[in-house]
Amino acid sequence: MKFIKNHLMFILPLMAILLGIEFYLVFDRTTDSYEKGLKEGYTMLVVTKKPVTLRKLKSLNEHIAGIETIKREQIVSEVAQGVSKQSQKEILAALPYFYNVGLDSYLETAQIEKIKRDLEKDPLIKRVETFGSSYSSAYRLFSFIKFLLKVFIGFMGIVSLFLIIKQMEIWKYAHKERMQVMEIFGAPLMLRSGVLFKVAIFDAFIATLLVSGIFFYVKFVWAAQSGIDLMMQKQDELFRISDMAILLGAALFLVIVAVYTVVFSSRGVQE
Amino acid sequence: MSNVISAKNLTLAYDNGRKEIIKNASFNIRKGDFVFITGPSGSGKSTLLKALYGQLKPKEGNLVVGGVDLANVSSRKLQELRTHMGIIFQDYKLINEWTVAKNVVLPLMIAGYSIDVQNAQAHRLLKHVKLAEHADKFPLELSGGEQQRVGVARALAKNPVVILADEPTGNLDDYSSNVIWDLMENACQQLETTVLVVTHKIPTIFSLPYRHFIIESKGVYEVH
Repeated sequence: MKFIKNHLMFILPLMAILLGIEFYLVFDRTTDSYEKGLKEGYTMLVVTKKPVTLRKLKSLNEHIAGIETIKREQIVSEVAQGVSKQSQKEILAALPYFYNVGLDSYLETAQIEKIKRDLEKDPLIKRVETFGSSYSSAYRLFSFIKFLLKVFIGFMGIVSLFLIIKQMEIWKYAHKERMQVMEIFGAPLMLRSGVLFKVAIFDAFIATLLVSGIFFYVKFVWAAQSGIDLMMQKQDELFRISDMAILLGAALFLVIVAVYTVVFSSRGVQE
Repeated sequence: MSNVISAKNLTLAYDNGRKEIIKNASFNIRKGDFVFITGPSGSGKSTLLKALYGQLKPKEGNLVVGGVDLANVSSRKLQELRTHMGIIFQDYKLINEWTVAKNVVLPLMIAGYSIDVQNAQAHRLLKHVKLAEHADKFPLELSGGEQQRVGVARALAKNPVVILADEPTGNLDDYSSNVIWDLMENACQQLETTVLVVTHKIPTIFSLPYRHFIIESKGVYEVH
């Protein structure tokens, strides 16, 4: 019972840190294309009296990076169904020119409004539609969620580190005398810290396996039944074998630092 | 005979050199010497012993043990030197979670001897200190005298060049103390091991010729 308790005291905080790392990796991966879409997929609609070029629009505002013409014939065929060909020609002649205009980067609402004003100053341009509020709110909500997750992971990491430090004190108390006696008799560092390393590395493997197990379950069982589109579409991204290597690497790094801290703080003979 | 321990103008201090315990001490101890170091409480007996096994660096002067200058020693060299020392403590300093046999062969384990050699030596040493039947017990299952005999067996395990003992009989009754003195006398006589014992009182029944140093007023003086 004591054996299990001693191991759990280290495995649980280590798992919390590994969960944080894996949450971050998974969230980053699954939302990457969504974020990219929000950032790069944004376009504003520009209506002009005469055809314009990208260079022309760029001269009005430097943030304009791309231009895509919306075919007027297609608009006419959609809005003037059942109308005679002659009338369609007249509508086409009267119809202004429509463009989807892309920007060079993600911009704040105020900057988008400035682009709108710059464009509307030109007499060729009839109207600019920015869709600014829906774009901004979606991206901001996303950024906020991402920020909250990072704060949560950071907080979880700090609390877990404190628990690990607490466990290190217990290790120190349990192993100090043995390590000091071995040091007096000339044992090299690796020999006197061997027991502690074995315990800690065992815990690192167990914590990695448990966290990997949780994410395998999420990937193969929970995500498929969740009904969350993003999860179902990105099921493959939820956990990769390479994540196990990252988790094991992080766990081993933490235990090596923890063990060496205990070993070096236990040097010298206890009076 | 060659010197195993040599101190010249040795000054030992704590608190980053502010609190001097021993000042300008010079002495030589030869191979096979049995040395008692006595002195009042707090005089610096244990401090000198600490310096001899490299736990306290000299503030000034030279302290050479087994040809190694402890004032300028690397941790690797110190580690190597310690494998040729047997150290006995008043509070035994046994590893309580290890069996008696495993405690005894610690120096052999450190030196990388095979398990078979370790087992054979554990048996021989425990028989020598009359604890063969306790090999598989843990230290806390033994009496104080028995634990100290385990400590002596551990100190003898690798036929050390020098044995350093800090009040080895300080916590023991007369009978157990006599057993410990016998074991150390034998080691000195039969193996020609240099033995340096810090103690409050030199035992009354002691057959071997010995040297006696007193630490007093920060100095180390030999009594003739």
